Amino acid sequence: MSNDETAFAEFFQESWDPCLRAVAASTGDMLLAEDQVAEAFARAWVSWRKVSRHPAPRAWVVRTALNAGASWWRRRARELPLADHDVAAPGGPGTGLDSVVLSALRRLPARQREVIVLRVFLDLDIETTARQLAIAPGTVRAHLSRAVTALRNELAQANTTEADPCPTPTR
Amino acid sequence: MSDTDQMTDGTELRELRDSLSAVAMPERPRLEAITARGRARRRRRLSGAAGLSVAGIAAGTALALGTTGAVGPAPVHGTIRTLAPGTIRNAAFKIVKNANDKATLTINPQEFLDPATLQSDLAEYGIPAKVTSGSFCSSDPAPAGFSQVVSLPPRAAPVTPQSGVQPTITFNPAAMPAGTELSIGYFQLTSGGQQASFALIDTNSYSCTSTTPGPAGPPDGSQLVYGGPGQAGPDQQP
Repeated sequence: MSNDETAFAEFFQESWDPCLRAVAASTGDMLLAEDQVAEAFARAWVSWRKVSRHPAPRAWVVRTALNAGASWWRRRARELPLADHDVAAPGGPGTGLDSVVLSALRRLPARQREVIVLRVFLDLDIETTARQLAIAPGTVRAHLSRAVTALRNELAQANTTEADPCPTPTR
Repeated sequence: MSDTDQMTDGTELRELRDSLSAVAMPERPRLEAITARGRARRRRRLSGAAGLSVAGIAAGTALALGTTGAVGPAPVHGTIRTLAPGTIRNAAFKIVKNANDKATLTINPQEFLDPATLQSDLAEYGIPAKVTSGSFCSSDPAPAGFSQVVSLPPRAAPVTPQSGVQPTITFNPAAMPAGTELSIGYFQLTSGGQQASFALIDTNSYSCTSTTPGPAGPPDGSQLVYGGPGQAGPDQQP
């Protein structure tokens, strides 16, 4: 096994789970995420010399996986314009991704969700996250702050509903 | 540490991280499957196979058809084997070969199932099948032995998106009489659900119709209704 192959094998071994978690959190569909991440790793293998020099190879994989997913959805939307019942709902059957927080995550605007995925699930720092998204570090902070606020509100609302689903009217 | 850095340790983000950590992760694919997929991708790019010149479109197309692109040293009909040997998986369905040489098909009700892909994948498990969409093929008389070949889930099991149940069908190719194949017809129901009808057909004598077998299912066959709102569950015959 060459040095490149060894390095890729190590990267694949260490990065598969975090990348899959990040993509699954973003898409809400574990099965689809698995396919997308496998495709992204295959592309990383083809371009390993470039990817291995990337400042955040895991982020490269996640972005590639999400882009592959976006291409798929666009293509499928063109092919099945009337089959809206076929569109997978987030956290659908078999995904195991049905927690309140993950549902709240998927309701965030795309950019906020990307920031969360890179910052939280891939544990990238602010600067690297900013470079990956081609935005300013201050913008990353702003998105993160808004995302946290939105998540906090969603969770508070969910907790209230859970604690008292049918509040008794007060006299 | 900045304010934002401190925020990432906040309750909400910790919960977010923890909730995904608690999710059971699927088995990691074999490295060989990934590198083979990469090589196949590179070959496609170099040869311009299927007229595709933009990287990524091939995989996207395969996914749109319910497949995930060619993986493995001997790709057949765009099938992926990223899991253990004996397993075919894509977004729309999974086929697992059991130790007793039976094969179990699990359908994801939320994904578009491509009949041609399912047909070719079943063939790889030694299950000759004619999989059609919007039509159903049958023989008159139907070959005997259907109940030994196909097992559907019990009628009581609800198969709706809300239930989270993915229908599973078990095939026993060894029980298929010579000169027969399996007919699987998919119909999109107006309710939004899907109906899959199953029967054995005589390879040399059958006819196909776009009329659904109806709620009772085909004579000497079985039927599964799934994926629609409020579907009661699979309808099995006889």
